[in-house]
Amino acid sequence: MKIQFKRGRTFVFAAIMSASCVFLASAQPADSPQPPLLTAMQQELSRSMDALSTANPPAYFISYTVTDADESEVSGSNGALIESDDDHNRYLEVQTRVGSYQLDNTHKITGGRDDFTSGAEPIVLDDDIPVLRREMWRQTDRQYREASQRLIQVKTSQQVQVQSTEGGAPDFSHEKPHVSIGPLVSIHVDRKPWEERVRRYTAEFSKSPATLNSLATFTAQATNQDQITSEGTKLQFGLIHYRLELYLQTKAPDGMDINRYANFDWLDPKDAPTDKTIDATIHQLLGEAESLDKAPLVDPYAGPALLTGRAAAVFFHEIFGHRAEGFRQKDIEEGQTFTSKIGERIMPDFISIKDDPTEATLNGEMLLGHYPYDDEGVPAQDVQLVDHGVLKTFLMSRSPLVNVPDSNGHGRRQLGYVPVARQGNLIVSSTNGVPFAQLRQKLIDMVKQQGLPYGLLIDDISGGFTMTGRSQPQAFQVEPLVVYRVYADGRPDQIVRGVNIVGTPLVSLSKIVATGDKQEIFNGYCGAESGSVPVAAASPAILISEMEFAKKETSTDKPPILPPPAHDPDATKGQAQ
Amino acid sequence: MKKLFSTVAMIAAIACSASAGAPRPAPAKQSNGMPDFATDKDQTLHAMQDELNRSRTRLVIPSVGKPYFIEYRLIDLDIREVSASFGGEVSSAVSRTRSMGVDVRVGNYHLDSSNFVGGQGGFQGVFGNTGQVGIDRDYNSLRQDLWLATDEAYKNAAAQMSLKQAFLSSLTKPPEIDDFSQVPPTVDVQPRMEADWTSRNWEQEAREASAGLKKFPDLYGSHVNYYIIYATTYLMDSEGTVIRNSRCIAAVEAALDTQAEDGMPLHNFYSVDVLNPADLPDPATVAKGIEEAAAQLTALREAPLVTDYTGPMLFDPRAAGSLLAQLVTPSLSGARPPLSSNTQFDQLMARFGGQSEWSGRLGTRVLPVGVSLTDDPAATSAQGQPLIGDYKTDNEGVKAQKVTIVNNGMLTGLLMTRRPGPDFDASNGHARAGNTQPIPSNLILQATNGLDQAALQQKFIQACKDDGHNWCLEVQRMDNPALGAVSPGDASDTVSQLAGGLGSGTRLPLMMYKVYVNDGHKELVRGGTMQDLTVRTLRNILGIGADSAVYNYLQNAEDGLAGTALGAFGTVGENGIPSTVTTPSLLLEEVEVQGFHGEPRRLPIVAPPPMQ
Repeated sequence: MKIQFKRGRTFVFAAIMSASCVFLASAQPADSPQPPLLTAMQQELSRSMDALSTANPPAYFISYTVTDADESEVSGSNGALIESDDDHNRYLEVQTRVGSYQLDNTHKITGGRDDFTSGAEPIVLDDDIPVLRREMWRQTDRQYREASQRLIQVKTSQQVQVQSTEGGAPDFSHEKPHVSIGPLVSIHVDRKPWEERVRRYTAEFSKSPATLNSLATFTAQATNQDQITSEGTKLQFGLIHYRLELYLQTKAPDGMDINRYANFDWLDPKDAPTDKTIDATIHQLLGEAESLDKAPLVDPYAGPALLTGRAAAVFFHEIFGHRAEGFRQKDIEEGQTFTSKIGERIMPDFISIKDDPTEATLNGEMLLGHYPYDDEGVPAQDVQLVDHGVLKTFLMSRSPLVNVPDSNGHGRRQLGYVPVARQGNLIVSSTNGVPFAQLRQKLIDMVKQQGLPYGLLIDDISGGFTMTGRSQPQAFQVEPLVVYRVYADGRPDQIVRGVNIVGTPLVSLSKIVATGDKQEIFNGYCGAESGSVPVAAASPAILISEMEFAKKETSTDKPPILPPPAHDPDATKGQAQ
Repeated sequence: MKKLFSTVAMIAAIACSASAGAPRPAPAKQSNGMPDFATDKDQTLHAMQDELNRSRTRLVIPSVGKPYFIEYRLIDLDIREVSASFGGEVSSAVSRTRSMGVDVRVGNYHLDSSNFVGGQGGFQGVFGNTGQVGIDRDYNSLRQDLWLATDEAYKNAAAQMSLKQAFLSSLTKPPEIDDFSQVPPTVDVQPRMEADWTSRNWEQEAREASAGLKKFPDLYGSHVNYYIIYATTYLMDSEGTVIRNSRCIAAVEAALDTQAEDGMPLHNFYSVDVLNPADLPDPATVAKGIEEAAAQLTALREAPLVTDYTGPMLFDPRAAGSLLAQLVTPSLSGARPPLSSNTQFDQLMARFGGQSEWSGRLGTRVLPVGVSLTDDPAATSAQGQPLIGDYKTDNEGVKAQKVTIVNNGMLTGLLMTRRPGPDFDASNGHARAGNTQPIPSNLILQATNGLDQAALQQKFIQACKDDGHNWCLEVQRMDNPALGAVSPGDASDTVSQLAGGLGSGTRLPLMMYKVYVNDGHKELVRGGTMQDLTVRTLRNILGIGADSAVYNYLQNAEDGLAGTALGAFGTVGENGIPSTVTTPSLLLEEVEVQGFHGEPRRLPIVAPPPMQ
């Protein structure tokens, strides 16, 4: 349940950014032969369904998803290469549901241990139909066996546990099948120039004695997904994503770790950031880190705060977006902040929020949470979640709610996980945005009104987490990376460190008093029950009349005893050749 | 985050072949005889030397004092992995990684910051004193990484030392055994071996080797993996040891599985490990071996279940090799266990080299009279077969020495690292695993009174008759779940089912036969596990063959089951240390076998799809 900058080094990759919607229009002509992979999937799925739909217990739904992931990764640290690899893998995921749409093996067992993984089995890259079918057969049998065992547990729990209203919603929604065979995508990456670049970028960081560690990682991914279900859905689509991440770590004299990070995402090699842009970013990160190293620690504070668009985007993703995920509404272990609030006002009426994975860009900038079909084969939909402050609906996978019976194309997962409702591109808009300078003046006015010496300006948020479980406080915490004190008396802004934003969602949303007039985009990877998925959030800057800041947990490790070797005036021995 | 890298990465001790790849020239020598690292194209040792000198002389917290020992280790891996299934390629990847390990000790040889489990020991912060480092073999980035790691290791050592001293003050009598033994430094800088993938088309070989399995309709799944791993290890310490050496291992591992008609899951495996990629058998030979394994699996499918049994059991030499590796290895350590402030850590002690079964039994009989057991890291062949366990210096830079562990049945020696124990102080160069638990290399069991095959068989039959059996059991191959699992999930299922059983003596046979006493005919059976079979069983061996065979395996220092060559990456626990056991057939007087109990898995409802 948190958004994060850094994607962990994993062997699997989620359905990544799309190569726009073009392929939707250019679907394969009806008379062209079916690709061998889809043929193998179709043959084995039909045969399995024929046999298992009459078995005991009967399977009522089977889906096969094959993800063909081609990735190049080049990573450098402290001026040297640490990794440069290509990987090409194909993974099979099989879902077998037994029982019925109303009650099946996936039904939540209260107090039971949830298993969010489905298993992604590596399969042959060659289009050898008998071999592919053998692996599909093997996984189908495994999944059917597990589903059958789980159904017995579900039925037992039905006998002994009280069922909530939402728990009585069906387990799986009926959806129209979709057939779309798009073109496959591919990438051709020459890693050599990137090897030189990541060395150079990180060497640039090392020129500062403040730098402890730096990392620059370039990734290029072409992911082709084939999906077929016993309901008749048959999809093939491809997504391409290029990404450069820069990461810098320093340490303040009191031991606090200072992390700075920047990322660039693009779809087409011609849109790669230029060296000039990257160099400017490197120096900005360095400048911020060096300032933060020297910045004073700020005490806990409650008062007005201004969040820039990017920071506000993460704020909305955490405190609103996760609570609008449909599956949380039916789980009685969840806090269900908004479950009964459809039709009610939950934030000021000048704010509207939608989640729209169908768009690949916003104002010309890439949106990382774009996809044509979700991981349950449902077309992505633009979903109006909040209309002028009023909650309209939830993000839905094929796990229905009593009042929201259908998926709206938000069933998403990282490879190897079971899809649940997740955010795609969360887009916040405002009907009374004002230019940033005015917003800033409003902050100062508000500070004066409240008799405070300063307000806080949050320029960058690393991510955060939100607790949605019922057994925990319904609180959120987000970690601002760059925070300025904006003084009421006109002194220059002062960078500070050492605080987290804490709060509760309903109160915080109601305290938004004004917004900026320009949306800014945050692209990142969000981790939750169904793994890490690419998301975007966009929002104008927001001014909040009262926000609470708490001291952040910090490392007590002192900075290193000796200076960095390259900046040690007494390191008479050995410099680079 | 690149610095989060577990210590296991440093563990891979990989067998060596000097013949593969194109060696780079060794660095020029300076006037003092020490190689001049500054002029070497590979700047690793140069960076280590400068940062070590700086740390040794200037790294100090006044209240703690300077470190008395600093060690830098670095392993540089070039890995080629190819996987195929039924003639199709599943993956092919090349990767290069380098990771470091830094050990800093404060105190002195008698009492230092090591050998203590308490406080926060074992858990590293963000920087860690182990971690992945740049692969350019450059100077600046490695110095930066070593600088941070040394700083952290030193601070950790200072913290551990204060916790340890506090704990010692609560004991009535502090331990008398030194914490760290002294050894003369070793300087051995070898040319670095370059990885060479081009000599053969490994993807094609993997496809060819796996294609023949299409002919076996009863197989459910299979994979054939080729691994080629080049490793260069660098070691430098503040006592003057400097080592660089390259090693290589190449392996083919195949796993296949099916279910018997009654639903019992069955698997088989094929593996070959060599020190030079060029020595890997050609695809036709590999295919033949894999198809033999498939034929065995087909036979197992048809084989009857074994019933519960207690009585004599004969192990063929290869099965005996695997059995010895499991039974004997945990008993060979002579190192003392670390001190622990928490008794719950006692169970972990075995992993740290403590509580070895034979420690403290020096001079007592542990094997039958006439039997000797040696560990010889210098041996490169036995019975005309190459051994894969040889090495020259261990992870602590100590020259590997041959150890006579058992002579004429009496315990005469134990394997030692630089961690002294109650019986021995000095290392004999057996620090091969990352946690400095001493482990064997090439174990050789010999007997003065070996029986030829006919005599041994006769003795076996007679023992069966004397024990009142119509049939007894003979094991030709032991199982290895790590190699036999087609999916990683299957392996962990097997191991978790066995959890705890391995420590108390559960052993897994794979090819086990009933031998009938009336006419000596053999019948393959399935479904049995041996119970309570521990090193103590070996004190009384009914008969030993005059034959002998070499069992090559990748040692897993943690659970005693052999690992896979994948572990030589250092990514999967400590299960990839090339090792061998050479042993004759062993006839054990009494082994308990438990037949298959419990519910077999049901068969697939859908028949397998056609393979052609």
